[in-house]
Amino acid sequence: MLRIEGLRKNFGGLKALDGLDFEVPPRSILGVLGMNGSGKTTMLNCINGVYIASSGSIQLDGKELTGLKPAQIFDRGVGRTFQVPRVFSRMTLWDNLAVPLLSRSMTRAERDEIRATWLKKVHLFDLRHNYAEELSGGQQKLLELARIMVSRPKLVLLDEPFAGVNPTLSRLLIDVIRDMPGETGCSVVLVSHDLTSIYELSHDIIVMHEGRILARGDAETVQSNPDVVEAYLGA
Amino acid sequence: MENARDSRVRVMVWAGVVAALTLGFAIVPFLTDNLSFMFYMMLWIIMASAFNFVAGLAGYMPFGYVAFYGVGAYATGILYKTLEFPIPLALIGAGLTGATVGLLLAPTLRLRGVYFGIVSLALAMAAKLTISLMPADLTGGSLGLILSSANDPLAAYYAMFVVLLLLLATATWLSMSRTGTALRAIRDDQEAAAVVGVNVVSTRMKAWISAAVFPALVGGVEAWYTNAIDLESSFNLLITAKSIVYAMAGGLGYLVGPILGSGLLYGVDQLIWRQFPTLNLLLLGVIIVLLMLMLPRGIVGAFAQRFSKLRKYIP
Ligand SMILES: Nc1ncnc2c1ncn2[C@@H]1O[C@H](COP(=O)(O)OP(=O)(O)OP(=O)(O)O)[C@@H](O)[C@H]1O
Ligand SMILES: [Mg+2]
Repeated sequence: MLRIEGLRKNFGGLKALDGLDFEVPPRSILGVLGMNGSGKTTMLNCINGVYIASSGSIQLDGKELTGLKPAQIFDRGVGRTFQVPRVFSRMTLWDNLAVPLLSRSMTRAERDEIRATWLKKVHLFDLRHNYAEELSGGQQKLLELARIMVSRPKLVLLDEPFAGVNPTLSRLLIDVIRDMPGETGCSVVLVSHDLTSIYELSHDIIVMHEGRILARGDAETVQSNPDVVEAYLGA
Repeated sequence: MENARDSRVRVMVWAGVVAALTLGFAIVPFLTDNLSFMFYMMLWIIMASAFNFVAGLAGYMPFGYVAFYGVGAYATGILYKTLEFPIPLALIGAGLTGATVGLLLAPTLRLRGVYFGIVSLALAMAAKLTISLMPADLTGGSLGLILSSANDPLAAYYAMFVVLLLLLATATWLSMSRTGTALRAIRDDQEAAAVVGVNVVSTRMKAWISAAVFPALVGGVEAWYTNAIDLESSFNLLITAKSIVYAMAGGLGYLVGPILGSGLLYGVDQLIWRQFPTLNLLLLGVIIVLLMLMLPRGIVGAFAQRFSKLRKYIP
């Protein structure tokens, strides 16, 4: 599904990404851990074209994504959410979910149905006529997730979906994310500091450190890796 | 579904506004000898609404908006006087000139916020300077151009009426189509819009060119109405200022905002002008400051905030 080889990104002299290699199999969730500044967001920005990678290759189903613009990468089926929610603040929730469907050929009924389905899933349907700016930060994260999922993406990149979300909403979010690969057939790259949810949701985990992958494997392998304990968990 | 009904109501409200404007401005000449008030009312509705295309829908503040107006006035004058085009063709030429200038300035859309605004202002001054440097037998030099041979206020009134109809059609298209949804998304967060598949460059270009064509047409028709074109009035920064203020007072982002804002404020402006000729600008300034302080999102915006249940019906 997603295959990344030798991915590097420099900002001036700073090596934000220093050679990443990994794969995300179909219908799976890859958890990404790493300290502040380890390059997680930068990696997502490179995958969906917000940043242009300095070198390396990013392939979705065997097709190269590097060099494409964000809108083109979206059309290939890659969706993403932002660490700080970026909703369309002066549009209603209902209209927020219309935006990703503008470039999709669907009937009006299909569009309405999938929007209603996702708003209900994240418990925002009753607020659909509110402006997005009227939502709490946590609700905006849920809206962002719904906004990307209505477009039926093949690959979903989630940047800190649990940050600033209260425990009840977090629980809801965990359940929604867990079901996504099975229900929609997508794969997920889940960046989070929240160890519990990463361990609970991920089929596979990578731990990043200074732009490199420090450790990878399932939850147990990662937890018991001495480098990880020292560099990340011990911190 | 419920949402389909909501948007039908909104479309009907807008259709009502369009019908009222069309009917009202169509029959005015039969009811009054003083066309001027209604002519300028249409002018400001068009100027403020087209400003809304780019400011309210796309999120750009072109402080040099007047450039399109001035260029349209001069294009009309030059095409009519020097090249002897009939007035209707000269006006079409003005619209095309506005579109061309819009295209030439399109690269500035890469700038955001106040940087865009300042560059736009500087380019408006450059446009004025360019015209002042053109040969005087083309532009009339510092005296400007007199179009008295074309004098026909009633015809000019109806020309403005046709421009108003074009504006309403464009507003409907820009706001209620997919383009409108995409524009609002770009206004709120350009990068997030791109990430969910919006073609930012081509979408905002549609709003930008629309916002360039209308002031150019208006500038041309106004030149025809008054029979006079000169640099100072064609590139008067008050034209930008009034377009901004009227649009913001009514409420940017709503189609009805600039219409309501122009109607009300232009009326107030004229009233003050007649009652207090010397204090006119001062009083208008005070009213504008009060409006901005009390209703930062304009009359329609404030209404939408207060009556949030009703705002899904506001076009
Ligand atoms: N646009 C940019 N310009 C310059 N440096 C940047 C830019 N974006 C990121 N960086 C740098 O790249 C490094 C990695 O940042 P990144 O945001 O990817 O970290 P992160 O793992 O997402 O951290 P956090 O957990 O705090 O979100 C940091 O040192 C950051 O300062
Ligand atoms: Mg980050």
